[in-house]
Amino acid sequence: MLADLIQNSLDGVTAGAAYALFALGFTLIFGVLRRANLAYGPAIMFGCYAATWTHLNFGAGLLLLAVITIAGGVLAGAYVERLCFAPHRGGSAIAAMVASFALWMQFEELATIVMPRHLYAFPALYDGPPLELGPFTLRIDGLVMLATAIAACALLWWILYRSRFGLAVRAVIEQPAAASLAGINVPWVLVRVFALASALGGVAGYLVVASHGQITPMLGMWSTLKGLLAMMLGGLGSLPGAVLGGLALGLIEAHSQWFFGPQWRDLIAYLLLFVLLAARVPWMTTRSAS
Amino acid sequence: MDDYAIGVLTNIGLFSFLALSAYLLLVAGEMSFGQQAFFGVGAYAGGILTALYGWPLPLAALAAMALGALAQFLVGLPTLRLRGLYFAMATLAAAEMFRILFELFHWRVERNGELAGPDGTQGFRGIRWIFEHGIEPVHYLILVYALLAVILLLLVWVERSRLGAVLRGVGLDPELAASVGIDVQKAKLGVAAAAGALAALGGVLYAHHNTYIEPRNFDIMLGVHSLAYALIGGLGTAFGPLLGVLLDIGVLEGTRFFHGYRMIVFGGLVAVLLVFRPRGLLDERMVLWIRRRFS
Repeated sequence: MLADLIQNSLDGVTAGAAYALFALGFTLIFGVLRRANLAYGPAIMFGCYAATWTHLNFGAGLLLLAVITIAGGVLAGAYVERLCFAPHRGGSAIAAMVASFALWMQFEELATIVMPRHLYAFPALYDGPPLELGPFTLRIDGLVMLATAIAACALLWWILYRSRFGLAVRAVIEQPAAASLAGINVPWVLVRVFALASALGGVAGYLVVASHGQITPMLGMWSTLKGLLAMMLGGLGSLPGAVLGGLALGLIEAHSQWFFGPQWRDLIAYLLLFVLLAARVPWMTTRSAS
Repeated sequence: MDDYAIGVLTNIGLFSFLALSAYLLLVAGEMSFGQQAFFGVGAYAGGILTALYGWPLPLAALAAMALGALAQFLVGLPTLRLRGLYFAMATLAAAEMFRILFELFHWRVERNGELAGPDGTQGFRGIRWIFEHGIEPVHYLILVYALLAVILLLLVWVERSRLGAVLRGVGLDPELAASVGIDVQKAKLGVAAAAGALAALGGVLYAHHNTYIEPRNFDIMLGVHSLAYALIGGLGTAFGPLLGVLLDIGVLEGTRFFHGYRMIVFGGLVAVLLVFRPRGLLDERMVLWIRRRFS
């Protein structure tokens, strides 16, 4: 019993590491724009499909695939920013969100046109047996996922809190008008934040498809939903909250799947979000989200 | 008219109910990602009542609408005080819960010697009331549009009344509305119940048109589509959402011209359109211009 709890927690933390990266990307974009980017997951999917396509046609190796995934994600993210968010800055939040949904549709259809099968194999991160630690098993790709996520978080922290660009980003998050008056080129910061968030998403997307060893067109919706859920659970707009939200979501899913099965796993995660929102717990509703 | 055209036209009518329910909430200032849930509630409730218990369709539709209104009222009660993305996410969470509950929902009843009814992820087949009662597809089409016309007349009448002004006031500036004595929460709950009933009516008609429904029909895709219909059509008049549905299903699917590339064309079109008209084609200004021109 206790062993199961610990094993589930281990699995939950590795899954949660990817969710945390998705949530960080959402939070960065939400922080500077006050908008949810529904096309965030589909843009990541675009990168993953670009990598899968390259692998199928040219048989590229793991590292090159990672680079292609991230580059594709950033490219798609820039397209989304230009078409959905740059024109609506200071304008309608709903219009921006619906526009990002429209591009989601584009990415999804593009994926199914270029690669019409429902499922494609993706080269696995690691094929060997899992690590045995007494009664527990640790998947090597899970460990790689966790380590990469921690490294990505550390890098993000360094960028945000130790670089001039990071200072500008935090200024735009706290006081966009004052940041603009202080001479910060806000539109240019926004473009780069989008690129940064898409790169984070690309890392997470690559880790997810490489550890699952397969890719389907559901990836876009899946990563948007997981990222939104983790971001909301941790408190909208807070970067440490996004990491905690991602880990919490991973843990909740792992435990509820073990005890109640896969359908209840999703039900419980959504129920928790609904109840926390309805109860207006303090950490979730402090940021304005018009 | 051939069957294909009738099917496309019927679908435009059906999804207009859902788009109108998203529109009602948008006018009252709330963005819902969850209208598909109440469409699903209507579809399941209506289908169960006619196919399993032999109710006549009109009675089943009324019951389903009441259930849809109740469901959205109950979801709205704890969530309508939330603003913007918080409300959107709460409705998304609620709708996904409904979808998963449909997956877990088994209600098998023996009917004419075999088991019928919702069977979890296997879906719910045999909602055949309109075939059993010899209703031609054309007649069903007319029925759908007659109901839509009634709803539209009702909405136009409401928008011209004091109630309409109250709703737009609540949507545009809730603080200001409250300061002139409008009970914002009550107004929004009323809108929520009406939106739930509308979505459920669309769901009943959808279930009986298709004869088969499954939980996957009522996923987030449907919900965001209805939101997009309302927004591209325009928030100035109840005819806006219809225009949105017509553009998507009618022009693109009806012509089959963009076969295979439909969402790429439509998605790009929507994004570019919203750059120039963030409140849709028939926004408030356009509606005013049309009114001046023709009165």
